[in-house]
Amino acid sequence: MPNHYFLKITDVDLIDELFVYFLIVASIIFLLVVFFTFFYLFRYGVKKRPERPSQKVGNGNVEYSLATLVSIITGVFVYLTIVTMGKVQTIPENPQPFLEITGHQWWWEAKYPNSGVITSNQIYIPTGKKILLKLNSADVIHSWWVPELGRKMDMMPGRDNYMWFYADKEGEYLGACSEFCGVQHARMRIRVTALNPEAFEVWEQKQLRPVATTNTKEFLKGKKLFETKTCTNCHAINGTDFKENIGPNLTHFASRKRFLADMKVNNEKNLRAWLTNPQDVKSGAKMPNFILSESEVDALVAYLNYLK
Amino acid sequence: MSLFINIPEDKEPLPSLKTGRGKLLWIASTDHKQLGIMYLWLALFFFVIGGLEAMAIRAQLAFPDNDLISPELYNQIFTMHGTTMIFLVLMPAMVGLATYLIPLMIGANEMAFPRLNAFSLWMTCLGGMLLYFSFFAGGAPNAGWFNYAPLSENNYSSTNGVDYFLVGLILTGIGSIGAGLNFITTILTLRSPDIKLNMLPLFVWMMLVNAFLMLAAFPLLNAGLFMMLIDRQFDAHFFIPSTGGSAILWQHFFWAFGHPEVYILALPAFGIISEVIPVFSRKPIYGYKFVASSSVAIGLLSYSVWAHHMFSVGLSNAVNGFFAISSMLIGIPTGLKVINWVGTMHKGSISLSIPMLFAIAFLVDFTFGGLSGISFAIVPIDWQLTDTYYLVAHLHYVFLGGSLFGIFAGIYYWFPKISGRMLSPKLGKWHFWLFVLGFNLTFFLQHILGILGMPRRIYTYPDLPYWKVLNIFSSIGAIFMFIGMAIFFWNIYKTLKKPRTAVANPWDAWTLEWSTPSPPELKNFDEIPQVHSRRPLWDLNNPDNPDKKLN
Repeated sequence: MPNHYFLKITDVDLIDELFVYFLIVASIIFLLVVFFTFFYLFRYGVKKRPERPSQKVGNGNVEYSLATLVSIITGVFVYLTIVTMGKVQTIPENPQPFLEITGHQWWWEAKYPNSGVITSNQIYIPTGKKILLKLNSADVIHSWWVPELGRKMDMMPGRDNYMWFYADKEGEYLGACSEFCGVQHARMRIRVTALNPEAFEVWEQKQLRPVATTNTKEFLKGKKLFETKTCTNCHAINGTDFKENIGPNLTHFASRKRFLADMKVNNEKNLRAWLTNPQDVKSGAKMPNFILSESEVDALVAYLNYLK
Repeated sequence: MSLFINIPEDKEPLPSLKTGRGKLLWIASTDHKQLGIMYLWLALFFFVIGGLEAMAIRAQLAFPDNDLISPELYNQIFTMHGTTMIFLVLMPAMVGLATYLIPLMIGANEMAFPRLNAFSLWMTCLGGMLLYFSFFAGGAPNAGWFNYAPLSENNYSSTNGVDYFLVGLILTGIGSIGAGLNFITTILTLRSPDIKLNMLPLFVWMMLVNAFLMLAAFPLLNAGLFMMLIDRQFDAHFFIPSTGGSAILWQHFFWAFGHPEVYILALPAFGIISEVIPVFSRKPIYGYKFVASSSVAIGLLSYSVWAHHMFSVGLSNAVNGFFAISSMLIGIPTGLKVINWVGTMHKGSISLSIPMLFAIAFLVDFTFGGLSGISFAIVPIDWQLTDTYYLVAHLHYVFLGGSLFGIFAGIYYWFPKISGRMLSPKLGKWHFWLFVLGFNLTFFLQHILGILGMPRRIYTYPDLPYWKVLNIFSSIGAIFMFIGMAIFFWNIYKTLKKPRTAVANPWDAWTLEWSTPSPPELKNFDEIPQVHSRRPLWDLNNPDNPDKKLN
């Protein structure tokens, strides 16, 4: 076993290890029950033993000793549970979260308090660093679960929960909202991208740039539509007066690879379909159909696609 | 010495289909046997509906990104599936068997409160009807069977579905409280004077413990349901965090009911199994005292385990630790029971009739479900696997592999007593194999899906590695179960058309109900049976080797 195994035992490793212990013991118990059940069935079938069997009513000593054995096994698992629980759920006195995630019906809002980055759905973390997440909800109960990076923790409205999160290797990690939260609970999936600390720094700096702007006709038309068609009643753009937080913050929308809580790849076709009729793409979503004309959709797509 | 002594006649006969010809007697009857049968019909009726809902769920989930069913409808269907199966199938089936059998097993002629008995049935029935009326009133409830706040509050559930859920369950809850009260009083006061508590058949013992659970659990649920109804109808704030309420409070109410409820649905099945295995092994139960007293332990412990449904809510380690310990402790008496059932078969003379086949399937699958349940008591494992398909698999192993297989064993076992006809063993075998194999195919695979990260209550899922193939096979298993059930219904239909030919005691069983004709007369016992041991009919049929006298 490589040495670093002992140095970097993550929460997920601890839980996996506990699950393996459980699996071994449970399998043995299960196989014993199955073995004795079927052994007795074959051994004591009525064809082999048609005569009246002895009417024994049980043996207290057997019961007590088996009960003791079961209690000892239970005791071992109680101990392991308490110890592992204490290692996994350790919340500091004054928690300083690295990342705050708020669940919304049906998308994720992410804030990085140290750098001030605000984004949604596309969540980036640095590798090799145990980070503290702060979780809460803007509406109903959601639950944050990326199985490879940490435990599951519910997002309770009106209450802050904290949990540790850790990625060893770079890559994309999938997860999902794990508490039923309404119509599109199934389409509230999570994709976390872990970058090495330098790349993460670069990403953060990019996210901190002011909102992109240009003078092309389509962009300006799209911007005007965005500001007049009530889009800004829900969506915020950093550095402007539009700060509503009901839908995702769109300042750097075009930098995101996927949208709609990981449902669709962020390309022109999907964006056009979404703007044309959101309810057709993700029924029940909070964005209504604005009955935009084709040219209006073109302009909005041009605008949003420029927000790198 | 005769086995029976005379019981004085009732002064005024209570209404029953057998005392008159009026059609109104179908609803006016207070005969515990007729009510028991009607409970069973009610359960069967809703089983068809709940089963079709399950088939719709498996059809939708068979393929990734399937759009057979809209998400809005899917959420109503899975909510109704869970609610139906728990409150309108398993509950009435258990209560029905108990209503039919308890007086017969303890040598009584009626329940202690015959009118309350009828009232309980009709409240349950009305609750079920109201729940389903929601489909015609703008939409069924869609917030899951545990109806978590604030999703179930006005802001997020704007149809009346949740209101129908609340009122429907309040009514069935009242019915269950009535039934629990009736069982306790009947068992404690109407036993034949010979029968001491330590001589009760184990089914009656389990129902006694169960009735106490019902009496304490359902008021908790109804209190919570009323509070939410006040929230929704009169704009109160019990469970709405944004205006000062608490979403966790609802979870405490719900699970403080919900976990005892799991045992309310398990204990009667334990009771049935404790009757069936000895009879078909031709031996008394192994460790009667341990089986009975472990039920009491389960009953008491079941009140201190509810927060194991809430380990991911973010409670402190101290709270989680308490509930982890209590949840693991409850595994000890349950494990002891399994040991006793297996022990009963030791050196027996086992015949594999259909009730026994289901009892064996129960032993295997309930043990499996019980063990996978332990993994949720181990808090860190719960932090990974709760609310995934691993949990869906676990709960179906307990409710189907446990409760339903118990009910099937009971129905095949007591069908000749109740109807006077034997169910066809040939069709029974088809039912058994198709259902049990289909069940294990469907739900065993779901453990793996959960470990692969598939959350529960999703109307669709992306095409991730292995998800598709596992889901397809899971749905194929459901088709096996569906065919198995169709054969079961066909079996009942065919059998009920035959003449009543069953003898009084076709299985050569030992408890008092088998001393009456099949089916029993309106008045169960003309004379009080004389009972000296736990197996009165054994003593009668085996005078050379009677059981130890207990009175």
